Amino acid sequence: MDANKKGLAKANEIYNSRGAYAREVKKQGKRVFGYFCCYPPIELLSALDIVPVRILGDMDEPITLADNCLPPVMCIFCRSAFDIGMKGQYDYFDGFVGAHACDGAERTSFIWSNYIKSPCNFHLDIPHTTHNSAVDFFKEQIEYFKAELEKSAGEEIKPEALRKAISDHNHQRALVRQLYELRKPDPPLLTGTEMLKILIAIMGMSVAEGNLLLTEVIGEVKTRENVQEKKRRLMIWGSLIDNAVFTELIESSGLNIVIEDTAIGTRPFWHDIVETEDPLQGVAEHYLKEVLCPRTFRDSGSNYAQDSDSRFGYLRDFAKYWKVDGVFANIIRNCDVHGYEAPVVKDYLTDLGLPVIMIEQDYSTTSLASLRTRFQAFAETIGS
Amino acid sequence: MEKEAVKTLKSAKTLNTAREAGYFGKKMLMGAIKAQEEGRMIGWSMVTWWQGDFIAKALGIHLVYPENYGAFCASVRKAEPYLELADSEGFPNTLCGYARNCLGFAKSLKDNDYVIPEGAPGGGLAKPAVMIASGTACDARYKWFQSLGRYLDDVPVWTLELPQPGVKEYFLEGNKEKNVQFVVKELREFVSFLENLTQKKMDYDKLSEMLDQAFKTLRLAHEVDLLRKAVPSPMVSQDFWSVMLPHLYLPDDPEAYAFYQRVYEEVKHKVDNKIGAIPNEKYRVMFSELPPWHSVGFFDELAQRFGIAMVIESWNYHAPTPMPEEEIGGISDPLEIIARLTYHKGREHNHVAREFDTSPGYFNAAYLQWAQDYRADGLIAHPLMSCRPATYTLMETRNRLEEKLKVPGVIVPGDIVDLRVFNIDEGFSKVEAFIETMDHYRELRKQAGMAW
Repeated sequence: MDANKKGLAKANEIYNSRGAYAREVKKQGKRVFGYFCCYPPIELLSALDIVPVRILGDMDEPITLADNCLPPVMCIFCRSAFDIGMKGQYDYFDGFVGAHACDGAERTSFIWSNYIKSPCNFHLDIPHTTHNSAVDFFKEQIEYFKAELEKSAGEEIKPEALRKAISDHNHQRALVRQLYELRKPDPPLLTGTEMLKILIAIMGMSVAEGNLLLTEVIGEVKTRENVQEKKRRLMIWGSLIDNAVFTELIESSGLNIVIEDTAIGTRPFWHDIVETEDPLQGVAEHYLKEVLCPRTFRDSGSNYAQDSDSRFGYLRDFAKYWKVDGVFANIIRNCDVHGYEAPVVKDYLTDLGLPVIMIEQDYSTTSLASLRTRFQAFAETIGS
Repeated sequence: MEKEAVKTLKSAKTLNTAREAGYFGKKMLMGAIKAQEEGRMIGWSMVTWWQGDFIAKALGIHLVYPENYGAFCASVRKAEPYLELADSEGFPNTLCGYARNCLGFAKSLKDNDYVIPEGAPGGGLAKPAVMIASGTACDARYKWFQSLGRYLDDVPVWTLELPQPGVKEYFLEGNKEKNVQFVVKELREFVSFLENLTQKKMDYDKLSEMLDQAFKTLRLAHEVDLLRKAVPSPMVSQDFWSVMLPHLYLPDDPEAYAFYQRVYEEVKHKVDNKIGAIPNEKYRVMFSELPPWHSVGFFDELAQRFGIAMVIESWNYHAPTPMPEEEIGGISDPLEIIARLTYHKGREHNHVAREFDTSPGYFNAAYLQWAQDYRADGLIAHPLMSCRPATYTLMETRNRLEEKLKVPGVIVPGDIVDLRVFNIDEGFSKVEAFIETMDHYRELRKQAGMAW
């Protein structure tokens, strides 16, 4: 890694070589843990100076080894993540944190633990609702997670260390939101592709290093002019995108991505953890109630319209403040939680006057080319 | 044209009592129609492994089960129009077949001003006053009911919580009890929710009586499972998939108990007289997951062609092993008894999972236990194209059985509802080839000095 690189160049470099970066971090004596999805509270890892690395798949890599353990009908992202795990791409993990985020993540977590051994494994069970007792239960499970981490690290997580980690991660969330602010102008000062690379980069760094990078990027981006031409402004909702080839294809099809309600987008960063007297209370409340993945069932409204407005009102706000012209509902094939939600979200956004293009895709760069025409046609449609 | 070319097969079943079990399906569907005519409250419920059923019923709600309705529509080959309707509504065709069947049906119900359309299979499902979703087993079982809001505009949904810890986490000190107490708290909230909806107070004595009856039925259903360990197998999967309905949906119904007494007697008679369910049992095979409901006769053919007896199957749908006395003894709160029953069902094989270093008991551990108990020669794994979460761990199950117990598996993909994705001839070819594999592993087990 080039130590002289800063800001966007550094983010790009880390995005392109997450494994190499993580191995360098390990050489410096730090421990590295992998985690699935948005739900494991990484503040606990940071409190022990463990670097949390978000597990991603690889749209460029054909799935081979996973075929013996995970069936083809499964979420392709999960299969891909497990496949590259089996191929040793995450062999630097000192620990693995699985999560019952959705069926795919849960089953993959179990199978990952069984086949790809790490010195420390923990499976975090996550309730499906936001009921008060569910928050209490989730907090108990986080306490078990904390205890297992402490056992593995051979040291206790001190309350002040946890508070500092929460504060540092809240600062990171605030910095990410600042980046989103820089996408409000037309044209945005930051492309969707750049944003994706930055977010993936910080999801493989210590919180301190990540915050430093974000600060550099913000300083750099603020001074930029004419980064891209004006195009139709697109919001992405749905399954995650973790490969810049995909966003580049969209942004070269007449669209500027201005905001992403996805797991590598607003979802992990939009709300701060409230700093409560018992820090884990705030952690539990935040992860269960404020990470807005459709995997969580939220009681809301007494009829369809109220329920939709309660659950998706934030999309209306995103559309308004980021001056969105259209929405791409992205569903990785076999992603059930987004699949059930898609027609409902489409109803809601269409009623707001927002055109929606819904695409189920196969999480493979080789199958992306065929989507270009659809995005181009969508850009022309919403431009008329 | 393509649809006409698809072969479907019904099973003849081997037990007389299995042939009677359809009565309970009709009883459930007709009961809902009658309840609607009488103005009683109707609830649509997921299979909740008894977590929500007794509570809702004790408050006078008549429950129907859209998952079961999906299986029924598939078995009479009436699911396709509903599947196509759901597709046209924008739901991905990769979603659960039961769900797509239900979403299509609900759309047709809404389009007919909530009067059940004429010709709906089995008399259709009446519009519910409440939907009881479940977080257990798969995401579809709460996302599906949530998305039904498109068609059942003002019908409230309650999602029942049931923890799903990993094996290691299950055994962490105190965690199991925390899990159970969470379920108890949730059930209290559920009772309040239903009391508010029905404007009735829960009759806990009545609830306890229902539980007593249900425990008797479940115990008897489990004893039937134990009888099935006999060689030759007195009862096969084709029978189980019929007789499972009363214990899964109606264990509190005295008629279900009486039925299981007859099932028990019939199976016991066969065991006592060494009468096999199939005439020439050569191979004892387990089956995982749900069957292709439209083609259960496939297994009759396997028996005829290859001497395959399907000795045990579909773990999720069996009555649980009895709870240890130290877990249930002295507890009088019916909500806690329900919580413990349902929680136990999902985790009854976690000790096996720990022993074999594999995924939690609700995935493949049951099969590792059963392979030994039922002296299995093989596993037919049935990945379900539209019930995918049930499928995710099938390959691990196959792998673990081979690695740990020298019991091989074969993958025969299909679907619970959509007969278009089940290639029956390919299934026969795969099983034919699998015969040699089972012979080979039988020899390996013999060489290893294993018990079967």
